[in-house]
Amino acid sequence: MITKYLLPLLAIIGFLFASYTVVSSNKPLPVAPAVAEPASAPFKTFIAGAGIIEPQSQNIAIGTPLSRIVNMVSVKVGDKVKAGTPLFYLDDRDTRAELNVKLADLAKAQTDLRVAKASLNDTQTLSNMAEAVADKGAISGEELLKRRNALQVNKAKLDSAKALIKQAEASVNNSQITLERLVIRAPAEGEVLQVNLRAGEFAQAGALNTPLMVLGNLDELHVRVDIDENDAWRFNKTSKAVAYLRGNRSVKVDLNLAYVEPYVIPKKSLTGDSTERVDTRVLQALYRFERKQLPIYVGQQMDVFIAAQDYSPQ
Amino acid sequence: MNRIALKMLMGDRGKYFGIVMGLTFASLIMTQQPAIFVGLMTRTFSFISDVGLPDIWVMDAKVQFVDDIKPLQDTELYRVRGISGVEWAMPMYKGLLKARLTDGTFQTCNVVGLDDTTLIGGPPVMLAGRIEDLRRSDGIIVDIDALKEKLAKPSGTPNGKPIQLQIGDSLELNDHRAIIVGIAKVTRTFQSQPVIYTTYSRAKSYAPKERKLLSFVLVKAKPQQNLTELSQRIRKNTGLAAYTQQEFMDLTYQYFMKNTGIPINFGISVLLGFIVGAAIAGQTFYNFTLENIRQFGVLKAMGTSNWTLLRMILLQAILVGLIGYGMGVGLTAWFGYAMRNTILAFRFPWQLLVFSGAGVSLICMFAALLSIVKVIRLEPAIVFKG
Repeated sequence: MITKYLLPLLAIIGFLFASYTVVSSNKPLPVAPAVAEPASAPFKTFIAGAGIIEPQSQNIAIGTPLSRIVNMVSVKVGDKVKAGTPLFYLDDRDTRAELNVKLADLAKAQTDLRVAKASLNDTQTLSNMAEAVADKGAISGEELLKRRNALQVNKAKLDSAKALIKQAEASVNNSQITLERLVIRAPAEGEVLQVNLRAGEFAQAGALNTPLMVLGNLDELHVRVDIDENDAWRFNKTSKAVAYLRGNRSVKVDLNLAYVEPYVIPKKSLTGDSTERVDTRVLQALYRFERKQLPIYVGQQMDVFIAAQDYSPQ
Repeated sequence: MNRIALKMLMGDRGKYFGIVMGLTFASLIMTQQPAIFVGLMTRTFSFISDVGLPDIWVMDAKVQFVDDIKPLQDTELYRVRGISGVEWAMPMYKGLLKARLTDGTFQTCNVVGLDDTTLIGGPPVMLAGRIEDLRRSDGIIVDIDALKEKLAKPSGTPNGKPIQLQIGDSLELNDHRAIIVGIAKVTRTFQSQPVIYTTYSRAKSYAPKERKLLSFVLVKAKPQQNLTELSQRIRKNTGLAAYTQQEFMDLTYQYFMKNTGIPINFGISVLLGFIVGAAIAGQTFYNFTLENIRQFGVLKAMGTSNWTLLRMILLQAILVGLIGYGMGVGLTAWFGYAMRNTILAFRFPWQLLVFSGAGVSLICMFAALLSIVKVIRLEPAIVFKG
């Protein structure tokens, strides 16, 4: 009995178990969903590019004409400034000291002028007296010549003293201009976007990787779109364009072309990293958009789609 | 008559078991070996099948299989994005980086960088933490098998079990600090390296400085878009290679078939199983017919037709075949179940059931044919001889 049924039974159990294994072990894995739905183009054929938000005025990286220690920073991030508003003050003690020296020089020069005037007066009087003598024998020819020459010399000295005053004045003026240059002022109306220096820090003159201060006009924003040079020929200035906010594709905005920078430049990664690894060149198109209540900040990246004609090879 | 046939078969237990065991063995070898083979081959492209969301993978034209990374320029992403029919295209970094463990040893890890915003291509199953946690600074998601084995902390006591890393523990990836923010379950890959997920930009900073770092562009087609057409369009417009998920899996699998000895190795095992099974079962079945030749002779002398005798032998062959087959595949399934928590690659698709069924049928047919020829040629007079 056992032999008769045991083996067939085992075989049936074995086959069922195998079938179960086949069914249960070949279920497809679940698919990891996207954390945020990616933006997709609303056009049939289009050019895609990464855009970065910048103020209409572009980002003004404030520099300093002189390398100095910073005395005081008079604005903070977010301040709205008018053209000419002082942004920060550089250390000016040495220039002020110099100015004092130069003012003293001016005072000295002015005194010298008075001395020269007095001398001239003196020689003028003596000369006049000698000239007034009618009797040629009463005064020697040599004496007369001496007095005349002394008059000429003192006249020249007066001119020289006047010139020295002018020189001293120019020198004082120079120091005053230097003092003026030690106060860095806003070149245009805008908002302070970034402040990278504090009182006591050294402000280096020249073009810096990290600007001392960034200024921009946020009334209207532009989005700067990088178009790969391979796609540049498809780009049409009159085409529609749409930008999507990263992380939430329901926030989108229609774009209007502001201008195109006609010079194709090496691509700078929009991550803002200074060490760039990509060596392609890109055409940059700038689009303006209605800001309204878009939750967007300067420097943020957007996914931009520009409609293009279908040139796909047949 | 059928009852007589069954009695004949089961009458001699030793022979009966012998035949069944031979067939069981053949059936076992013909499913278990291919199951391991299929399992291994599935692992070659498991990374591709784990990333389920995209339809098309875009890569350098010379890529031969999934681990053969030939990176692209970052701007290629936007060129692919600009092709009509593309719903979205996302970057993915995949590369091998060295992780330094707390005890100072190094472990090569498979680092996967996902698009920063959407994190598309993430691990299919999260055991702890969420994929969004990758947005935290220095965050990485590590697969559970790696945490238990290759990346585990050595135990404090000698010969103790290694300590599994937890969320919040840190690793050193190529001299950068990385914090575990999530634990994922992924399908094991062929090389079984630990899989580490992070964001694309972070992966780029972990990776050694190279000019190009974009490994793949993952593309989702617009609804109702023909995938073959779209991949051809991508190919024509960008000069890159574009494969659908299935094509890329086939490409990877073909590479391993052509360039490794694995298929030959397993092919030989299967063939040996078939031959040995056929030899044992065929010979025992033939022997069993020979032993019962007298009974067949009596039946023939009593006037039983050749057709009835043939049916009896076929019934015997089919019965042992079915029993052997069922026990064989059952043993294979049990083997797979017993090995489910080991690193052994084991995969049992339905095709294997059919394959071994066909194999066992062949063996039975071969054995039955030998016996049938013998019985049909039999002279009834043999009963009265010696």
